[in-house]
Amino acid sequence: MAGRGHGLRNAKRREVTDDADVLMALVREQDADAFELLYDTHHRLVYGVALRILGDAGAAEDVTQAVFLKVWNSPNLFRGGNFAAWIVRVTRNRALDVLRGRAVRNETELPEALPENEDMEEAAFARLDAERVRRALASLPSEQREPIELGFFGGITHEEIARRSNTPLGTIKTRIRSGLRKLRAALDEAVTA
Amino acid sequence: MSRRFEPPHDVLDDVAVYALGALPPADARRVREHLSSCEACAQEYARLRPAAALIGLSAETPGDDARNCPSTLLKPRIMAQVRSGKPRSDGRSAAASPAKRVPTWPAYLVAAACVAIAIISSMWNVALTGQLKQTQSELARASQRSSSLAGALADERSTISDLLGSDAKRYVQNNGEVVTRGSRAYIAMHDLPQPPRGRVYQAWTLPKGTTKMVPSLTFVPDAHGVAVIALPPDARTTAAVAVSVEPEGGSKQPTTKPILVVPLT
Repeated sequence: MAGRGHGLRNAKRREVTDDADVLMALVREQDADAFELLYDTHHRLVYGVALRILGDAGAAEDVTQAVFLKVWNSPNLFRGGNFAAWIVRVTRNRALDVLRGRAVRNETELPEALPENEDMEEAAFARLDAERVRRALASLPSEQREPIELGFFGGITHEEIARRSNTPLGTIKTRIRSGLRKLRAALDEAVTA
Repeated sequence: MSRRFEPPHDVLDDVAVYALGALPPADARRVREHLSSCEACAQEYARLRPAAALIGLSAETPGDDARNCPSTLLKPRIMAQVRSGKPRSDGRSAAASPAKRVPTWPAYLVAAACVAIAIISSMWNVALTGQLKQTQSELARASQRSSSLAGALADERSTISDLLGSDAKRYVQNNGEVVTRGSRAYIAMHDLPQPPRGRVYQAWTLPKGTTKMVPSLTFVPDAHGVAVIALPPDARTTAAVAVSVEPEGGSKQPTTKPILVVPLT
């Protein structure tokens, strides 16, 4: 049975092992206990992203299940860095696949496995929690925040965002860039605060 | 004196939209190729991409409200698959069929099916041995019992179909949920401790338009703390379902505070 002989055997050890990198190393050795702890600490994130994109609890559960089984079946897809950002990327891609009813992913989405230098960039933000990211997003003006959230969670292109908001395409693109720059600055501040 | 090259604003804007993952495929391909040859755009991308990657964190559901969380049965369903010891795929197979629902069974259904299959297997042994040793009448009785077990297995399959049906309604609460599908209703509970000696769990139903709970089945969880109960009444005429701890044999009305009360809307 998976995980026997390798498991994190006691609760005390569980309490101190909160590093996703460590847990993923154990998952690669088929440690089901480590996987269970990863599920406990990240399932609300995965489910939340899927729910926000799909707007349907049942479909969001299906995506959550598929994402975690992918983590279990293909742990080498995670090559270190910010595990939360990685699993969000996997979840978003999967949810967009469901939303668009397709079996083959377009090239629009970013790849799940990133080059090493990009992993390092993300790792700098590994300790940020949902609340701090929400606060950073909320600090953006609505005309910047809304197209950014639509682009991320809506699964639509900038052209569709421009059409829906009745705003010129060039303006939408500029707002997205300005918003992402402000968001980055706010997140930098949150990390050092 | 050299001056740093500054790409046109519209190119940098495209880089930002690409970092967000909101460019159409053809534009995304163009930007990706451009990034490999333009240092200024690559730097802009490196600055914006981590910010874009973290946007998803804002969607994490709060843990203090069960309505915002996935079903409590989701974890047992996933862990049953993980602990089943199936060989891993190479990762490509999982990515190649993203739209296909992963066929997993909840742990309690796996356990239930295993029990049923074990009973059926032992029945075959009895039948084969009986050809040599038992009388014709004993074989007839065994055959009758086998038919009965086959019927039970068919019921089990029907239960599995109902519990996993995409059109089933689920009412999640604490460590259990009530699942209704058409006229059928089930209570599925996990992490349920064994009741005290001399006690059992008892299900209750409240018919629509009434105020008095009607006694239903008594049960105990299996060794893993899992219980799945098919309720006899028609789900369409049932207003609520409850579970309480009662003396063995059951009670005519609840004698303890229910551990589960689920209104069916």
